[in-house]
Amino acid sequence: MNLIIENVGKRYGGGNWALRNFTLQSGPGVLGLLGPNGAGKTTLMSILATITRATEGRVLWNGTDLASNPDLLRSTLGYLPQDFGVYPNLNAVEFLEYLAAVKGLDSAASKKRIDELLNVVNLADVRKRPLGSYSGGMKQRVGIAQALLNDPQLLIVDEPTAGLDPEERVRFRNLLSELSGERIVILSTHIVSDVEATATDIALISQGTLVAHASPELLLQRVEGRVWEWVLPSAELNAARQHYLISNTARRSDGVHARVLGDSPPAGAQPVTPNLEDAYLYCLSQHRAGVAA
Amino acid sequence: MNAPRVLYHMVRADFLERVRRYSFLVTLAAALLLAYAVATEKVWLVVGDGYRGVYNSAWIGALMTVCCSTFLSLAGFYIVKNSLLRDADTRVGQILAATPMRKDFYTFAKTLSNFAVLACMVVILMLAALVMQRIHGEAHSFSLWKLWAPFIFLALPAMLLTASVAVLFETLPVLRGGVGNVVYFFLWTAAIALVAAGVDDPTGLQLLYRSTRSTLHALNPGGPENFSFSLTIGGERAVRTFPWSGIDWTPNVLLVRLLWIAVAAGLALLASVFFHRFDPARSWRKTRSQAPTTALEPSSVDRAVPLSPPVPITAAHLTPLARTSANSRFPQLVMSELRLMLKGQRWWWYATVAGLLVGQVVSPARDVRSGFLIAAWIWPIFLWSQMGCRDARYNTGALLFSSARSLTRQLPALWTAGVLVALLTGGGTGTRLLLAADWHSFEAWFAGALFIPSLALALGIWSGSSKAFEALFIAWWYIGPAHQLPGLDFMGTTPASSSPGIYALAAALLLAAGYWRRRQSLGYA
Repeated sequence: MNLIIENVGKRYGGGNWALRNFTLQSGPGVLGLLGPNGAGKTTLMSILATITRATEGRVLWNGTDLASNPDLLRSTLGYLPQDFGVYPNLNAVEFLEYLAAVKGLDSAASKKRIDELLNVVNLADVRKRPLGSYSGGMKQRVGIAQALLNDPQLLIVDEPTAGLDPEERVRFRNLLSELSGERIVILSTHIVSDVEATATDIALISQGTLVAHASPELLLQRVEGRVWEWVLPSAELNAARQHYLISNTARRSDGVHARVLGDSPPAGAQPVTPNLEDAYLYCLSQHRAGVAA
Repeated sequence: MNAPRVLYHMVRADFLERVRRYSFLVTLAAALLLAYAVATEKVWLVVGDGYRGVYNSAWIGALMTVCCSTFLSLAGFYIVKNSLLRDADTRVGQILAATPMRKDFYTFAKTLSNFAVLACMVVILMLAALVMQRIHGEAHSFSLWKLWAPFIFLALPAMLLTASVAVLFETLPVLRGGVGNVVYFFLWTAAIALVAAGVDDPTGLQLLYRSTRSTLHALNPGGPENFSFSLTIGGERAVRTFPWSGIDWTPNVLLVRLLWIAVAAGLALLASVFFHRFDPARSWRKTRSQAPTTALEPSSVDRAVPLSPPVPITAAHLTPLARTSANSRFPQLVMSELRLMLKGQRWWWYATVAGLLVGQVVSPARDVRSGFLIAAWIWPIFLWSQMGCRDARYNTGALLFSSARSLTRQLPALWTAGVLVALLTGGGTGTRLLLAADWHSFEAWFAGALFIPSLALALGIWSGSSKAFEALFIAWWYIGPAHQLPGLDFMGTTPASSSPGIYALAAALLLAAGYWRRRQSLGYA
């Protein structure tokens, strides 16, 4: 089971390239796709989900080009778009039964699957309520359930935890971790903690290009020895921001504790263990500096 | 608050948002097509005993204005009846609702924005009128006043009224959707019928009627008693001409036109009474079964996150799914589409279908097709009108079109479900024709059952909205089957008016058009 993205580019009307020369290969596990707003994550997801066609390059699913046979992937694809709707008059069971039929699942198997899925996403108690009465988080969970209907080999989820409360977010992360052993899961988000909790591989994307593709451990190694905690008076914080990349601040009784990213520390700063957010910010700043140069 | 400035910016923003949409270009193209049809004498105004006016400024202005007042007051309604819905869908409405904006300001601004769109089309026809006088040039004198005065005093107030009715309909829950589209058609028909009743109608046709009648009567005092006034499309041309110098714009005439403007303003204000500032409790896509969300689950904001979760946060195990062939599930998919279509219908909807079916079975043979079948095949209009555009309306396209063979399975299943609705609701007629071995009539009935969902599917896919089908179908149904007009009678209500071959072919072409369009819209077909 493998997914190969070769030199993929996508140009929209007006000549704007949302994605350019994007190359990546992925196998079973969770691939976390991280990037700032407008980086091209959703465009890449749409291409992989066969919703839109790449302007250039190709995508291979188990060696078959999507352009020649998109249904090969679709039959084993689960897709949760960032923005989707539901039919408000149907309840969760009816909506999932409908999508199961569209996906070609037989009636008996889909009924059992829907029961399981509604338990998994914690909607069993409200299964008979019309979807029009669901909250945003509940609709999101219906979306998660529909993506898993056909037991997909490729699961693409775009901002899946948006609108979920903390408990449901943890539940979803656990579910992704459990599912990832036997399939490729592509998780697009700008919430670093979601990726940190589940991803076996991370792709950083910015301005439509791939900035980095590595395991979380390798990304963390890149910022090893480059993250510092610096305590400074709050009045000096704005001036410090002009000279250093500060990823986080916390006000304490002894001043502002600033988390500084850089090759050399400010005077008096102490080294700290980097986290994935540090790695993300460091890689992006390096990339932007490279582009600017 | 600087009221005129706020109003100006509200109208301006809404107008700019509309004119930058592709659909506005289509609307302008339609206006140009109408202007071309009039200028090239495809559309005629015939008065009296086969007369038309000499092509002078007054007559050309009147002719173009009649087209504006009639065609645009009907089609224009369906074009502009989406301004509040767009604010609801884009969530801009919620932002506006959180500002100090007054409700009457909002509905008045939306009326003016609707009017601006319709006025654009009127301006195109005003310019076309100039060109038309150059082309035909039957009269040497030219008067811009006589050419454009009917547009200003007749067409523009009619457009303002159309604009305000559209806003009023959008604020009324009952008339917001398809029911409003159908109701407006009959309202428009009634307004046009006011001409025959001698009432000063909103379109201003009565003024033209009176003016041309008095002119012809002065020219030919011994003429026939009955005076006709008809707008003819591609029909028999007028054989005689008469000089007509236009409507005398007396203070009384202008006062009546001002009255219609006042009515339009009143309707815009009335709309503000029903407008609820996008209150989610009176939601714009609300369904009858909707219950307050907070009763089911508090939002994460107002629910305190417990320190220790009440239930273990573990992922339940999912049983691996056995893979089966998708092709064998087509009947199941058809039933799913049918269930989706029928979902939400109340008991009285089914009771009416049952009543119409019984009527088809027990009524005298001559009344079945011209009575009960006509009613039976207008009743499911809102089921058919959702075909092809439901995914756009509810934003489920990404879920559907990322499934395997959606084009070759889901689309045919949707069409089949639409045909099944036609066959079931008109089943009494079909069964009787079959038992009577009336093959020609049966073919016409069956072609109708194929044609209606095909038209709905194609228009739904192409327009992305249910309005196109609702507006066209109700007008077609009224002109064709209800009046048994040969050529337009897609239901084949009488042997003389039925054309099964044509409508079966049309069904196939419409289905192909829908398929082609859907294929184009999918990234990977």
